[in-house]
Amino acid sequence: MARLPYIEPEDADPVTAKVYEDATARFEMVLNIFKITGNAPEIAQPMWEIYFNILQEGPTLTWLEKELLILKSTKMGDCLYCVTQHEVVSSRLGVSHEKQQDIVGVEYRKSEHYTPAEAAILDLCGHVVLDPEQIPAEVWTRVKQHYNDAQIVEIVATIGAYLQVSKFGDSLGVELEPVWHGHQPVLFAVEPPTSKASQGHLDHFLAQAPAS
Amino acid sequence: MPITATIDTPTAEVEETYAKAEAHFGQVPNFVKVLGNNPAFCKSLTDFMIQALGEGRIPWAFKELIILKTLRATGAYYSYGAHEKLALELGNSPEKIGDTNHSLWRNSPHFTDGERAVFALIEQTAVDPNDVGDEIWDPLHVNYDNGQLLEIASVINTFINIGRMGDTLGVSDPTLFSKPVA
Repeated sequence: MARLPYIEPEDADPVTAKVYEDATARFEMVLNIFKITGNAPEIAQPMWEIYFNILQEGPTLTWLEKELLILKSTKMGDCLYCVTQHEVVSSRLGVSHEKQQDIVGVEYRKSEHYTPAEAAILDLCGHVVLDPEQIPAEVWTRVKQHYNDAQIVEIVATIGAYLQVSKFGDSLGVELEPVWHGHQPVLFAVEPPTSKASQGHLDHFLAQAPAS
Repeated sequence: MPITATIDTPTAEVEETYAKAEAHFGQVPNFVKVLGNNPAFCKSLTDFMIQALGEGRIPWAFKELIILKTLRATGAYYSYGAHEKLALELGNSPEKIGDTNHSLWRNSPHFTDGERAVFALIEQTAVDPNDVGDEIWDPLHVNYDNGQLLEIASVINTFINIGRMGDTLGVSDPTLFSKPVA
């Protein structure tokens, strides 16, 4: 159960209404994570600009590369909300279920579905999520073989932003919208959540009737 | 030294963002100069930081304590010293700032029940954001309205992001504001 009310489009102030309009143009619907930020429009507007930057091609990375980082970072945080949605988004961008499955743990390192560049940024992602203080020099060497400074900023910004929004949504109890009901988890089928609470959220989600 | 170049002289694409940063902070923080490698993200992240670091639905002085506690709870180092300076300058006593450490805040006389409720949220968010229960949220709803709670959650999670990014990119900002804030 969400801990704050969702501000529905008909109740939104003009600033929030514009954010909803932009979100609908991009995502075909106003997700609950947007609706909860309607409680403070002055925060919602600049916050979502960061995500509008991420969820598109470019400016320096492909959207697919960013989706891999999103899946990796939010899976490590047991975020059912993010993982579910980005399994679908990344599929639409051409990421196969086999490739999605290999993102769990360090399977991607030996997976035929991943390039050395992708494996390098997923290694970096794992360290950023766990402890940036422990990023080995060889990881940076590999990342820098494939990516320039502008891209490195975008890589780190994508990981950081999804740590931010996943913990934000989960701590506020933001629920998956009914449209996702019936989705068969890919990443959590490979490795269940380590958080008992997240496992409870997953069990509840799987018990919902599929969206018609 | 940061892992990327530091863009000291702004390109045309980030000139406006640097000007905004200078107007707000009195200088362009090194974090912004590293973001300057990627103009789109430099703009959106700087705009968001500017929004966060000021008076809001909750006092800026309290936001700084939230930031300090968040950085501590998530093991982040970036800008910790700068936020200690800001917390002090905005009127928090050294004793109160010190009592944000580990569990000292729980029994410290320097905090209100509302402030303690926020610190409990920060610690649980750092441990497992999927498991923030009624025992955390009930006291929050007693002490704050919905807009304030959204801002509190936003400050916590924004600085989870900023702390991670700053540490990953190897940025140091011992001072964020070069102009008086109080």
